[in-house]
Amino acid sequence: MRFRFAVFIIAFGINVKLLSAQNFSTISVNFKPMFGHSVLQLNDSIYLLNSRDSIQFTTLKFYISGIAFWNNSTTVWIESNSFHLLDATDSNTLKLAFKVPADMIYSEIKFKLGIDSLTNVSGAMGGDLDPTKGMYWTWQGGYVNFKLEGKSNLCQSRKHEFQFHLGGYAHPYNILQSISLLTSNRQNVNIELDLKTFISNVDLANKPSVMSPNKEALILSNQLGKLFIVK
Amino acid sequence: MNCLKIVSVCLLFIFVSSFLGSKDGLFNIPQNWPKPIYNFSKNPLTKEKIELGRALFYDPILSQNNTISCSGCHSQFTAFTHVDHALSHGINDRIGTRNAPVLINLAWNKRFMWDGAINHLDVQALAPISHSDEMGSNISEVVTKLQHSKIYPPLFFKAFGDSLITGENTLKCISQFMLTLVSANSKYDSVKRNESSFTKQEENGYKIFNKNCTSCHIEPLFTNQKFENNGLPLDLELKDFGRMKVTQNPNDSLKFKVPTLRNIEFSYPYMHDGRFKNLNSVLDHYGRGIVKSKTLALQLEQPIVLSANEKVDLISFLLTLSDKKFLFNPEFGYPKNLLLSLPKD
Ligand code: HEC
Ligand code: HEC
Repeated sequence: MRFRFAVFIIAFGINVKLLSAQNFSTISVNFKPMFGHSVLQLNDSIYLLNSRDSIQFTTLKFYISGIAFWNNSTTVWIESNSFHLLDATDSNTLKLAFKVPADMIYSEIKFKLGIDSLTNVSGAMGGDLDPTKGMYWTWQGGYVNFKLEGKSNLCQSRKHEFQFHLGGYAHPYNILQSISLLTSNRQNVNIELDLKTFISNVDLANKPSVMSPNKEALILSNQLGKLFIVK
Repeated sequence: MNCLKIVSVCLLFIFVSSFLGSKDGLFNIPQNWPKPIYNFSKNPLTKEKIELGRALFYDPILSQNNTISCSGCHSQFTAFTHVDHALSHGINDRIGTRNAPVLINLAWNKRFMWDGAINHLDVQALAPISHSDEMGSNISEVVTKLQHSKIYPPLFFKAFGDSLITGENTLKCISQFMLTLVSANSKYDSVKRNESSFTKQEENGYKIFNKNCTSCHIEPLFTNQKFENNGLPLDLELKDFGRMKVTQNPNDSLKFKVPTLRNIEFSYPYMHDGRFKNLNSVLDHYGRGIVKSKTLALQLEQPIVLSANEKVDLISFLLTLSDKKFLFNPEFGYPKNLLLSLPKD
């Protein structure tokens, strides 16, 4: 009897401790695809690349995964099962929210652009990884990490269209990008991705389409990985 | 102490059964076979899911115009390959570029397709569903159609406790059915189990096989799962370089997945493009058709020259790999009870 009482007291104590630790706050991370200084709009907006050439975007979808908050080179919080499909046609998907301990202090956000290789070889997945989301290659295994489509007079392809489906998880074309961004400790973080810089480095005239894991996909992904900045 | 024992026995049981895929005989590893590659713990087999997968496998609802099902190219009576077609033909009678392989013992497959382009059984179905020459649809269209059908939401509810259909659940059920397609009841298997014996001719063929073929077509699965160039001349029209397309590595040029030889009697025509109509032509190839190239397998640098008698013996051994119980097992057939009662909508 006494024993049981002791267990009760201990359990109660742990409970109180757990409850007090369950003080959470929310950090919002908002991804903003940009074209130069303006927020990127799909479909109707026509952008100028230079004085002669123009461009329009119809699709922008990409995976952000493995999100972690760091403070002075130690991890302070890692999101479990962290896979997010961001789709420019649905602004809700661009705003990620994380419930973290209220007293958490961080100085750095780390994440991946794309899907890691283990997940790529693990069969059918659900949620944002469900193949119905249109980000799984069908004629071969693997996820598309980043998808950008549209048209430009520069492209000599059919209907002047371009499509970049960047993916690849196996050597030598493992194109997953690890991104680390320093930031001050804050509740609201805006992360911009400037697609004007990206597309200006692409050879739209001669290579308007990259749709398999290859050297181009690797080069373009490396460039993309450097374009995320905290604003 | 006793308690510890019970716990450890229980843990062992859970551990073992997660490899076996099921606790109630839905999937059994044949005697002396290796451990399957497929990770059943991520998709534990249940009767309801297997049945649902079987319905999907046989239902043309998976194709864009509801005309062709998986079974259209993979029929049970030929160990789930395409009956008598060199190159599979699909929707609107379009001809594909490869010969449909048998679908047996897939739980042991490391990679799928002749060039290994697919890395997991669960995502394999995406390829035919989306291919314009095969089923010409896509998985989100399929899921929408299933959700609006009369029979599928209740079947998904029975299988998953949720009638909301997802791509993940659809694909995992198709896998479940395909995983049950284990063929291990041929004469060869019964000889190995000491339940019968080879004739003299078969015995001799087995020896010839062990000497010449087993380095690639290794027992008990009759494939080493590797990609090899067995010396077939390149078809100049199809220009299929096999594995190289996937890896972009010139060392993989003209390499194709070593296929199983189980049920080979029924899976003609042979090779990735179905170029040989019968086993005699296959043996002729190994005897005098091998084309030398940089990537040709070392074992085949010397042709495998066999006398007419040896050929007959070898073929009689290959015929012991036929598993009629498998080919006529009603559990793998068309699910009449599910699909014929379909209200058409
Ligand atoms: C139009 C004919 C056709 C249809 C319909 C079809 N397949 Fe296939 N299947 C093939 C061909 C051809 C291959 C080999 C393709 C390759 O190697 O590129 C194949 C390969 C496979 C493989 C790989 C086997 C291995 O050992 O590598 C599996 C598994 C498979 N199909 C399952 C299915 C399923 C499930 C469906 C229905 C969703 C289906 N197939 C529909 C023709 C077809
Ligand atoms: C170096 C490895 C290797 C050796 C040795 C080898 N094979 Fe093969 N075999 C293959 C490969 C690879 C294929 C598929 C080639 C293709 O389709 O491009 C194949 C295909 C076959 C096929 C067609 C199977 C099908 O489903 O289409 C048969 C039958 C066959 N081999 C029988 C034999 C026999 C009998 C021997 C011994 C005399 C033998 N093989 C030796 C690698 C080998």
